[in-house]
Amino acid sequence: MAEPKLRVLMVSDFFFPNFGGVENHIYYLSQCLLKLGHKVVVMTHAYGNRTGVRYMTGGLKVYYVPWRPFAMQNTFPTVYGTLPIVRTILIRERITVVHGHQAFSTLCHEALMHARTMGYRVVFTDHSLYGFADVGSIHMNKVLQFSLADIDQAICVSHTSKENTVLRSGLPPAKVFMIPNAVDTAMFRPADVRPSADVVITIVVISRLVYRKGADLLVEVIPEVCRLYPNVRFVVGGDGPKHVRLEEMREKHSLQDRVEMLGAVPHSRVRSVLVTGHIFLNSSLTEAFCIAILEAASCGLLTVSTRVGGVPEVLPDDMVVLAEPDPDDMVRAIEKAISILPSINPEEMHNRMKKLYSWQDVAKRTEIVYDRALKCSNRNLLERLSRFLSCGAWAGKVFCMVMIIDYLLWRLLQLLQPDDDIEEAPDINFLH
Amino acid sequence: MASKRYTYIHESESETRRGAIDIHHVIINRSRSTGYTRLMGLAFFLVILGASMYFLEKDNPVRNLSWSCLLSGFFIMIQSRKLVKKESVIIMPTFGIQLETQCLSGKTVSRFIPIGKILKPVLVECVTPVTCYWSLSLYLRGEEQFTLVFKELRPSLKMLVPIWKALCTVIGTDQSEMITEEKHVSG
Repeated sequence: MAEPKLRVLMVSDFFFPNFGGVENHIYYLSQCLLKLGHKVVVMTHAYGNRTGVRYMTGGLKVYYVPWRPFAMQNTFPTVYGTLPIVRTILIRERITVVHGHQAFSTLCHEALMHARTMGYRVVFTDHSLYGFADVGSIHMNKVLQFSLADIDQAICVSHTSKENTVLRSGLPPAKVFMIPNAVDTAMFRPADVRPSADVVITIVVISRLVYRKGADLLVEVIPEVCRLYPNVRFVVGGDGPKHVRLEEMREKHSLQDRVEMLGAVPHSRVRSVLVTGHIFLNSSLTEAFCIAILEAASCGLLTVSTRVGGVPEVLPDDMVVLAEPDPDDMVRAIEKAISILPSINPEEMHNRMKKLYSWQDVAKRTEIVYDRALKCSNRNLLERLSRFLSCGAWAGKVFCMVMIIDYLLWRLLQLLQPDDDIEEAPDINFLH
Repeated sequence: MASKRYTYIHESESETRRGAIDIHHVIINRSRSTGYTRLMGLAFFLVILGASMYFLEKDNPVRNLSWSCLLSGFFIMIQSRKLVKKESVIIMPTFGIQLETQCLSGKTVSRFIPIGKILKPVLVECVTPVTCYWSLSLYLRGEEQFTLVFKELRPSLKMLVPIWKALCTVIGTDQSEMITEEKHVSG
């Protein structure tokens, strides 16, 4: 069996069986890297009874480390608690590059810190936009500054996200690459027979019904569109705290037959819901990228979206109608979308999406980032500490102390359990 | 076969005769196990000495020292009795397997498992909050949990593979499946 070119450890608190954009990204990227001949291992926390080692499609090895999540799927931050297990996994899998995902993952930050202490190459991908002004964001940005002060390369999913990450973390922009997300165009295809738009126009909304995803905007927009266009109906998929507001809106305006609420839609059924519609409506108040509109465009739907974050970078101008996150502007955008709907060809849209976005392309670009990271020179502890001092008057000194203690703990672990005592795990190939 | 921590010994009545009893021993190297107990004993001694100096008679350090030595010695003795010296797997074809654990004190705990009860022996990677290691387990009929072949010791994969192969041969798992798995286990 040929030796893999690179051996990558993906670390994040967010992976299957939990479902979302980050989880999907890690999975698809890992599968494409495996097909390119690299070895990929994923490390995440345990989900309920799912702990230990599991193998997924293509031989993707996943370590569900039995550290319980404590808040919003994040592992309890112990700073040094994960050092022994991270060290064990890095040695037994002979990892060369550690790739952390998502700024909001404590396991990711701890693993990156330990990996840098042990001299491994480290890459970080940021998937979301964060603020600057509120207390939570200020603390998060400080942690990010610490975590990213010493990494080799970073990846962001849009130019807006790159700007946001650079401002929050103080990273030099030359170290940050922009690699967009992609969509599985084989799974998201238009319907064989498109529903006719002559009698009824269906607008589909699929998102979590939370404030951040603009559920309050929907409450204002839907009744107004239904009043202006008697032939329009809405299909709303997803669940969340704002579900109650939407139900109240339906009752108040008697829209039970015009607005269908599907509740939570499993990802495997999203395509079957999308192909029943003509227009996809996204009302998010903030988005680093928005994979949902990619999926809708791949299914041949015309998209109406709020002009926020990285959304304008995702689709060509003839596939999307953008609006400010304001109910009146969104209604105008929907009117424009309805008027240009007859000129939309779903198959042509799908074919264009196939050329624009693919996970294979994302994997090849990520490979270039890994190669760049491997070419970075290895700095000793003193040189690395000088980078942390620039993080702040007090914070810099605290960060230096944290790294020194981490280094000493690593050396102590090496005394108690030398590297040679950790047995390397064999690479197991699966028959296809 | 020997490593820093364990020694593996394979006893077989006859290499060629089918139906011969097959015995596999894994012995822990003494210096490692007793060294660990001594370290724990020393830590215990220091804690007791410190606590007694602080809380109890500060004026009589000799009595504190002697009580601390006595308690630590008692602690080391209790721990040593539980220390495992050797674990063995005795494979009796068509009959069953016997798992034995022998402690330093000489006490031996055995468990016999009839051949009909064993569905499959498996090599499993166990993940704890601080480490990850290989273990050989048996999937038994009617039991939800795996049964560990080596309960206390953690021998390396190189030592576990020949035992796993011997168990598979005896249990009569499909040979072609075994050969395929062997080819792809590298390292």
